Formats: sequence, structure tokens, C-alpha cells
Amino acid sequence: MTAGEGPSDAEVIARVLSGDVEAFGALITRYEGGLSRFATRMLGSRDAAADAVAEGLVRAYRHLASCRDPARFRTWLYRIVANRCKSHLARRPVGDVSLDDAPPMAAQELADAQFERTDQLERLERALAMLAPEKREAFVLKHLDGMSYEEMSVVTGERIPTLKMRVHRAREALLAALKESP
Amino acid sequence: MTRNLDLRIHRALDGELDRASLSPEELALVERLDAAAWALSDVPPVPGLAQRVLGIIRRPLESPLERFRRWVTSPHPVTVSLRPVYSVIIAVLLVALLWRSPASGPSLADHEGVAQFVARFPEAHSVAVVGPFNDWRPEATPLSDDDHDGVWDARVILPAGPHEYMFVVDGERWVADPMAGKYVDDGFGRQNAVMEVQPVRSE
Repeated sequence: MTAGEGPSDAEVIARVLSGDVEAFGALITRYEGGLSRFATRMLGSRDAAADAVAEGLVRAYRHLASCRDPARFRTWLYRIVANRCKSHLARRPVGDVSLDDAPPMAAQELADAQFERTDQLERLERALAMLAPEKREAFVLKHLDGMSYEEMSVVTGERIPTLKMRVHRAREALLAALKESP
Repeated sequence: MTRNLDLRIHRALDGELDRASLSPEELALVERLDAAAWALSDVPPVPGLAQRVLGIIRRPLESPLERFRRWVTSPHPVTVSLRPVYSVIIAVLLVALLWRSPASGPSLADHEGVAQFVARFPEAHSVAVVGPFNDWRPEATPLSDDDHDGVWDARVILPAGPHEYMFVVDGERWVADPMAGKYVDDGFGRQNAVMEVQPVRSE
């Protein structure tokens, strides 16, 4: 997959594999936004997310030659970062997802939106954090990263019906959290 | 309270059902979830991420030997978990060990005491104490003046009781301690100082 203009992922990967280390920077720039969002929502902490994404990107670089289908680099990369997130979560006490440093919202950008950084958003963040990691992962990949169920299946290694069920349960939990708001 | 949503709403959210076919209530729920996802998706990127990653991958990989060397030479937190009962046992053993250990230096027998020899010789380069306890050998018991204030001293464990002694200054000048409270004739026309050593467990 290629995000926007410029060389395709496959072309950039070929350059990196031929020895052009700096070319990997183009892949980082292309995907760091989505990966940061994914990891932040998975871990509930920007610091932990930064570590997980950085570890994932370094790991991806080291194993780039094993990316069998460079055209599907994005899902391959997400799979690596998702695994790093799971490792971070496994090192925490059960159910411990930090919301202390949840990312700030750009107030002006949100002025016209239905949600502001208010109780509602905090309820959403808390409801997302309270979800089981696999449901949280499915919801984030589907709704925040806009992946198809086929892509999600590649990232998670799960069957599509399983992923659909997880997304459904996550939606219902988030909607319930919104309904509890005053 | 979580309740199951109508499957039509899920299908509309998944793009499998035209939203125009939804009722106003169903459409409101779909839009509410869309808005929730939109709000949650506003996460700024991690600053400096690209530089951090490129900085790591530009460095050559460490060899296994280098990794091992770094591992053994860098500090690692070590956590020891103990049952409270073992903690108490260890504490008791340590206290018992410290109780029985001498604070420093050799231990004293009941009949022994510590003789402290102190003399002021500001111009001296060396001072020693001699007496029957060291066979009058000047090299046996030197005094020290660590702070170079001209006051020399030494502590010696001796049997309790009176001990004759002399100071030997710079290896050649024999001097009776002018501060001694008692002196005895040495039989050669001079006097030796006498120190009364008290047994350490006299009380």
C-alpha cells in the first residue's frame, strides 16, 4: 500500500534493502501517525506508545527482508507494533491501562465536533481502556485506523467473524458509556 | 449497562448496509458511534519518533559478545522476595553475628588492658616505645603522628599491671615519658617511666 504520493512502499523497501538506511525514514513518516494513534489507544499512555512504536519500527527494519509482500507492508508493520503493544500490556498488572497522560485534544479543531475533551471523551477513553485488549485492538483498527476486516485479519491473525464480534461488543460498550453521560 | 445493538447498525457501520435505509433512531446511533471514533482518533504523533528510530538503526548491531559484555557490566535491579518469617530469622542471625564480632582489632582477654602511649615531640621524625613487653626493641612498637601536629601515639594490648617503658626518638634518643606519673630506677643511673595497665573487664 502507498499512502498518498511518492514512491510505493515496495519501492522504498527495495531501496532500504539495497543499503539505503535513510530511505526507511520515508516509511516512518508515512505510518508514524497511525501507529502512534493505534499504540496510544491500545496502551493508554503516550510514553508507552512511543516505546512500543519505536521498538516495532526498529524490529521491522531489522526484519524487513522477511516482509514477503512489500505491497502489504502496512498490515505487516501494524502486526509487529500490535505485538509490541501486547508485550507492554503483558508486563502490566491485569487491567492496568493508564489514562493519566491521555493525549490532549486540539480544542479549536474540536469546536465544531460533537465531542469535546469533556466528560464524554473521558468516558469514551475510559470505556475503551476497560475493554479487553483484543476488543480494544479490533475497534481501534476498524474505526480509528479504518482497516477492512481482511486487513485486520492479517494484523491480528484472527478470523473475520471473530473480529466482527469483537468490534460489535466494543461498539456496544462505548455506546453504553456515552449513554451514561449526563 | 451494555446492550446488544441491532445488527443493522453494525452492518451500516461496516459499510455493508446503506445508511439511507436506517430509521432516524438507528441513524442517530450510527452517527454517535462515528463521532466517538472520530474523537478517539485525534491523537497527535509522537514527537521525534523518526529521529529516535533512525538513530537506533544507523548504529551497527552489537555482536552477541558485546551484548553479553554490556549486560554483565551494566546495573540491573535485583528483587528478592522473602517470607516475613525468613526476614525475621535473617535479622536475628545478623544481630547475633554483630553482637559476637569484635568492633575492630584483636580481642582482649580478661586479664589484659589497652596501654595508650602519648608523647609530644614536635621536631621528631620517628618515635617508638620500648619496654620489657617488646624486649626493648625500638622497631617493634612505633608511634604515629598522622596529622603531623607533633603528638605521637600508639595503643598496645598488654597484661594488666605495671609496665616500664621509654620513648626512643629518631631511633637514637631514649627519653623517659615526662608525663608519666611514676618512675623507677633502671639500675644504670637513669629512670624508666611506669604505666599501670588496667584490665579491660575490671568492673
